Amino acid sequence: MNSALEKHLNILDYALSALWRHRLKNGGIVVVFAAVIFLVASFQLVTTALTETAGKVLAVTPEITIQRMSAGRQEAIPLAYAEKLHDIFGIRAVVPRVWGYYFDEVRGANYTVLGVSADMPQADELSRAVVGGVMGSGGQGKVVVGRAVSQALQLQPGQLFSLFRPNLSLKAMTVAGIFRPETDLLTADLIAMPLVEARDLFLIPASKATDLCVYISNPAEIGTIAEKISKLLPDTRVLTRPQIQKTYQVVFGWRSGFASVCLLAALAAFAILAWDKASGLSPEERREIAILKILGWETADVLAMRFWEGGLVAGLAFLLGCTLAYLHVVFFGASLFRPVLVGWSVLHPALSLAPHVTLKEVLLLLAFTVVPYLAVTVVPAWRAASVPAESALSG
Amino acid sequence: MRPASWLLLVVALSLAFDATLLAVGQERRIAQQRELPLLHTVTAALGLSDLCVATEARYTRHPAVSDPVAPFMDHPGAMEHFPTGSFWAPPPFRR
Amino acid sequence: MLIELDSVSKIYNQGQPNEVRALSEVSLAIPPQTMVCLKGPSGSGKSTLLSIIGCIFAPTSGRATIAGKALARLPDRFLTVHRRATIGFIFQRFNILPALSVVDNITLPLLPLGISPKVRRERAVILMDQLAIRHREHFPAGQVSGGELQRVAIARALVNDPPIILADEPTAHLDSRLSSEFMQIMADLKHAGKTIVITSHDPLVTEHPAIDRVVGVKDGRIDVP
Repeated sequence: MNSALEKHLNILDYALSALWRHRLKNGGIVVVFAAVIFLVASFQLVTTALTETAGKVLAVTPEITIQRMSAGRQEAIPLAYAEKLHDIFGIRAVVPRVWGYYFDEVRGANYTVLGVSADMPQADELSRAVVGGVMGSGGQGKVVVGRAVSQALQLQPGQLFSLFRPNLSLKAMTVAGIFRPETDLLTADLIAMPLVEARDLFLIPASKATDLCVYISNPAEIGTIAEKISKLLPDTRVLTRPQIQKTYQVVFGWRSGFASVCLLAALAAFAILAWDKASGLSPEERREIAILKILGWETADVLAMRFWEGGLVAGLAFLLGCTLAYLHVVFFGASLFRPVLVGWSVLHPALSLAPHVTLKEVLLLLAFTVVPYLAVTVVPAWRAASVPAESALSG
Repeated sequence: MRPASWLLLVVALSLAFDATLLAVGQERRIAQQRELPLLHTVTAALGLSDLCVATEARYTRHPAVSDPVAPFMDHPGAMEHFPTGSFWAPPPFRR
Repeated sequence: MLIELDSVSKIYNQGQPNEVRALSEVSLAIPPQTMVCLKGPSGSGKSTLLSIIGCIFAPTSGRATIAGKALARLPDRFLTVHRRATIGFIFQRFNILPALSVVDNITLPLLPLGISPKVRRERAVILMDQLAIRHREHFPAGQVSGGELQRVAIARALVNDPPIILADEPTAHLDSRLSSEFMQIMADLKHAGKTIVITSHDPLVTEHPAIDRVVGVKDGRIDVP
């Protein structure tokens, strides 16, 4: 075998047996480091997965949503506003939507009540996503509920249930169907019903809606049309599809919140630990290096040995941390983050995350964890390697 | 066997394990990809704008269409009291 | 001459306030297959002289030729490469790494030479057999007796088959039985063709019959009695 390669293997062997001799200490460092990497990587994977899924699933969200703002808060929008948009060229349809939250005091759960207009695109295909019948209006409006709702209220198709109107009168409804499990990520907490039924539940006058969905023929014109609308209707907020999609890219950004503070604290604590471990050159270590050097190890060889030691600890921790993070997120639904991710939510879908791992992200993570560790271990390594050989001799 | 060979073995085994994990994950992605048309139908038919992940607060249930003050119901500088607020940023301000 | 020093001087921290003149104008010639003892009190320049003979550093001025190579003020690398091939070291207290096994200690000088584990062990086994420490092969060096440790140190000095053996105060911490045993092994090595330089002021060493010459060192000069 090539003797230069064999020499490096020999140095690697030496570094490995040195690590093995202090396996308790080094194992501890690997475990702590891996835990930090695990947290950072898990966070990264969860947010990537959610961002990616949102981007794909919400690609067909309404092109423009118009909300009326009053005193800084959203209010019901008069349907008359829709009439004013007739003159804008390029709008294919304006569909009113009534939706809101219903707080179930008994179970502490929030439901999303959705009034759906039959004018929505693909409205006639909705039955594909439903087990049971379709929604309809009438004496006891037929509604379709999400799986989490059906479980919370123990509802089966055909069953009757009632919700309170704001004036505490009861509104009775029949469960026509339940959304399929595959659509959980969108529908788990929904109670979908025809527009009139939702108006009746929330006591919203027929002249109003929660917001207006605007559909546009040419997606390239979204920006211009949105601008025209906001000029025409100054008391509204105009949300475009690109903005909505962008929301999910910023919503999980490095937030000055609990999660990132914890991660940064962990990272800082680890950096201190690593520095402390690496910077102290004990008399034994000095002696060992002096002996190695006098026996014919070059400064570069000692440096290589030290690099191997630091690199192996960091590399193994990285591998371990990343593997555990992937297992955690993909196979255990990020169960450790769930409490923070969903908070006090009573209803939430079983998360099935399958993030796309890109080389870029792995390198980024490497740059944030392993590189700082190597940096704080390199400086002491230089110092260690410069121990003079003659210090192994007696005075 | 020399220590370097052990290291090689350990690294090779863990990389193989990771490759398997990634392959299984990829399988899942493909399975989810197959459901995408159905999810698109639901999104279009209901005019949805958000994923249902957290349901505790409206700015985490519908971050894309919540009004800017939703996280600060009482005061613009109020502390958020919903745990999801540490994971989900408030909706970006836009007109 | 295997070792040839011609008016060699060594000045530490030259040009600085803490300048120390450790050796001045030392000339010394040692032919092959001889055993020389460097004798002198601590601080006499003995260790500096040993370092130059051992190719650890080059002299500040003068010519030092070790095994046919002149030590100029070359980068450390060149000295290291030459040292690996020509010098075997035995230290005071032996400087064995206690956590490593006996065989790993013996083969330490072979690692940077790029010699495979198999060959390394073969060489160590031959030496361990010669020095009767084969039964300790896989013991941690910290757990073997003083006499065995001494032989581990000798085996380590011999493992790269150098023509010159340097021993730095080898008997300073040994009882007289181990000291004479050590000198006996050195005498055998001399007969086997090695050139040996020992620093010591132990009479057991300086007065040993196998010693060909005792060189006194005092205040950085060869002390002519």
